[in-house]
Amino acid sequence: MRIIRRFERAYRESRPPREAVSRAAAGGVILAALLSAASAGVAAAAQGAPPPRLAHPAIPLLDAKGENVLRSGGPISTRKTCGGCHDYDFITDSFHFQQGKNEMSPDLLRQHGIAPFNSSPGMFGKFSIIPNRQLTHAGVQDVADCDMSQPEWLTKCGVCHTGGGINEFDLKGRRFGTPEARPDGPLDPSYTIRDRESGKVVPWDWEKSGVAEGDCFLCHVPKASRGARREAMTAGDFRWANNATLSESGIVEKTAEGTYRYRREAFNPDGTVKPEVLALSDPTLENCAQCHGFTARKATIIQPIQHADIMRGTEKAGWIYNGAKISETVSPHIAGKEKMDYPWDVHAAKGLVCIDCHFSPNNPGRRIQEDPAKHLKYRPTEADPAVYLKRPDHNFARGNIPPETVNVTRHYTMRGCGECHDAGKTHDFLPYKSVHFRALACQTCHIPEVHFWAYRSDEWGLLMDTGTSRITFRGIRGDIVDPDSEVTGFRPAYVPTPAKDGHLEIRPTNLITGLYWFDRAKGRPVFTWQVQKAFFDHWSEEEGWVYRDEIVKAFGDADGIVDPATARYDTPEKVALVRSFLQKYAGISDPELRIDVVPWAMSHSTVPKEQAVKECTACHARKSLLHNPLDLDDHLPRGVPVYYMGKERPVADLSGKVPVFDNRVLLSSFYILGNSRVLWIEWLGWISVAGALLFALVHGTLRMVLGGRP
Amino acid sequence: MNREPLYTLHERIWHWLQAAAMILLLLTGFALHYPDRFPLFGSMARAVHLHSFLGFALLVNAFLGLFYHLTAEKYHHFLPRLDDFTGGAVKQARFYLYGIFRGEPHPFETDPRKKLNPLQKVTYLMLLNVLLPLQIATGLLLWGANRWQDLFEKVGGLRVLAPLHTLLAFFFLSFLIGHIYLSTTGKTPLHLLKAMVTGGAAEEEEVSHYETTKKAICVAEGDSPEGAATAP
Repeated sequence: MRIIRRFERAYRESRPPREAVSRAAAGGVILAALLSAASAGVAAAAQGAPPPRLAHPAIPLLDAKGENVLRSGGPISTRKTCGGCHDYDFITDSFHFQQGKNEMSPDLLRQHGIAPFNSSPGMFGKFSIIPNRQLTHAGVQDVADCDMSQPEWLTKCGVCHTGGGINEFDLKGRRFGTPEARPDGPLDPSYTIRDRESGKVVPWDWEKSGVAEGDCFLCHVPKASRGARREAMTAGDFRWANNATLSESGIVEKTAEGTYRYRREAFNPDGTVKPEVLALSDPTLENCAQCHGFTARKATIIQPIQHADIMRGTEKAGWIYNGAKISETVSPHIAGKEKMDYPWDVHAAKGLVCIDCHFSPNNPGRRIQEDPAKHLKYRPTEADPAVYLKRPDHNFARGNIPPETVNVTRHYTMRGCGECHDAGKTHDFLPYKSVHFRALACQTCHIPEVHFWAYRSDEWGLLMDTGTSRITFRGIRGDIVDPDSEVTGFRPAYVPTPAKDGHLEIRPTNLITGLYWFDRAKGRPVFTWQVQKAFFDHWSEEEGWVYRDEIVKAFGDADGIVDPATARYDTPEKVALVRSFLQKYAGISDPELRIDVVPWAMSHSTVPKEQAVKECTACHARKSLLHNPLDLDDHLPRGVPVYYMGKERPVADLSGKVPVFDNRVLLSSFYILGNSRVLWIEWLGWISVAGALLFALVHGTLRMVLGGRP
Repeated sequence: MNREPLYTLHERIWHWLQAAAMILLLLTGFALHYPDRFPLFGSMARAVHLHSFLGFALLVNAFLGLFYHLTAEKYHHFLPRLDDFTGGAVKQARFYLYGIFRGEPHPFETDPRKKLNPLQKVTYLMLLNVLLPLQIATGLLLWGANRWQDLFEKVGGLRVLAPLHTLLAFFFLSFLIGHIYLSTTGKTPLHLLKAMVTGGAAEEEEVSHYETTKKAICVAEGDSPEGAATAP
């Protein structure tokens, strides 16, 4: 009851006065719902069953003016609707909503070793080889320095990066649509966009697009529609994006004009939405899956491509979080699945959901009670459910997955494997447990193989006739959209990554190799539109991208077609040609072709002990899986600098037909018994043994030949 | 007649236990260092456990040996004199490199009071005071990696200790080869080996010394050794 009273008090304190009437009704509903749930819980507890979860009370949907949308017909404002009880600004000041916008500090980047050409450690400001784009820096003065403006970023990335901070405020922190929100010059990246056809930077009409406030529904409504949201965001219809997310919930329907109409039957007579229709809840597996990777409790059909997007986790690392057995998979065709009588992910099979590990850090029921700076293991004052309900921290607990650096100061906030599993009490077969546990992440043995496909390479250094990169995949024979393609999976590569205490541990990873042009004079990657200028003569609606004649001559086949299967930089002359075109047509004074090998560490698709690596020689033999030479990309040119995690490092063995990953330099700080060799010790040792044998042989022979002693 | 054995029962047991432990340590060590080429013990885990057990067996045996040699006042066998490093070692080396092919007698015959020649003393000085303690220390630290992680990391961890331990193992193997070969340089190839099994007899050694000395003198003076004086 104390909790309920606190919740009620917190609710009352946060209630805006002008919505008193509807809120009073809602408050009554909340109290009634809580009391009924609590009494049901008491009854259930008395019978020994777990109490039911508290349902979210019925709420009215409000527009930007705080008016019930049933009356106004306007787009839903989550700031008003959800922000009435929950601290909207606090919630949206978190990395799911900001993606680095609130971390735009050169000092912060420097401290964490992030290249200075990035403006933040998150995707809102950071260059990535996928998709070779970067948010234009604030204060840009030269059109040549403009790449992706804030509106363009939102149309392309805003479907997942759920509004709020990045979609409501410009790079100087002014809210779009307010009088103070004005562009600082004609190139201000918050108020412009590059026109595809003319290539010119033109103004963006915020009045027309509106802003997309934080999309609470995408994560908290089980029937959220990412597809509809994507459509709205891509069209620049930000204002209606949150309504679009509800388009499969039965609450709204799209009109011919492109707006949304509210369906009266989904609402109670008091104007609140029927709780069973909106069904607000903790984020379900399906909610997280929409953006993060294929996730299901028990799915026999794996569909990691939804709404024309490959789900991130599957795309980057090939993971499938699914409780069903691999052997039961109906589609796609998994090679050798008959022998895989175990789940895609053991945690999914055990019923764990995303928020079990990636919880809100101040959730009193889940939070990790520790404050090493103050030597506190428990802080009763902060573990108040009312505080949590008012201000749930949306900087969700996370680990540290290279190369993702968003929320850079708050990595390793989730429970590690060791906080649920006492590995020391198991693993009896394993000698030197603590040495192994220190050197290896649990995933190293428990993700021995990926049974799905994933990105292998993304080459923006040689553009295809679509004006975009050539992408290759590993772990599949055939096309990823062809249901008849055989999914062969792949063995991961292994790289050292910093553990929570900073020491390096080996963990499995997928590798995505990028081939891109770098502007050495400006110290940043060459933008895609600049590479397009070098490769293409022009673009038009009818013809699409049209190559320059010299490019066709250099990279085309006998029919004059630049074939994605064969086109490559196989001679220094071809590299020199594109380099000269970048200088001539894009004004890049000193472009350099680079290879970037990017690790995407794996954490899901975890297997139980029966399928984990247990054979010592798997790692300790001369041919160790820890040095798995994962194939990189057979189109990679030779003689080009290779970068890994921002530094030029010899991690690609380009001597064979297919370039492969070579992690010897990366793992040089590890001595793997049975695998590692110190060459001079091997030589000295064997010379000493050979010397002793030779002495015995020669001396013994001489004794026999010359007589003397026998 | 003096029948005092060249090697006492304690010495022989100590020697053979040490030999067995060392050979098995080398074998298990190679199974760990080259697990795919020497999969001798079924699995690496088994080789690890066996290697650790044998290491401790060798350690205990080494201490028992030390205790025995100290309490039985036999340690002096291993204490080289200054002359052993210079003249004695040169004389012994000359024998191995030249004299042995000419049938010359051992410059330093062994008896229960003088069991080691100068080269052996110098070798054992290095072996027992440098190589063995270093190998035991690196072995103990490697074994204790689980238990004393801070200390283990402080001394360089696996990256330093494992290669050092391996190098010393190579030196032990080289010693073992030389040691086994030189054990064939007795009166007969198996003479010294037998002595280490049966204990050998001082008297026999003395006769042997007498016989070989006489033979050498006769050869040098052009006389036939037959009919010369018999043993005293």
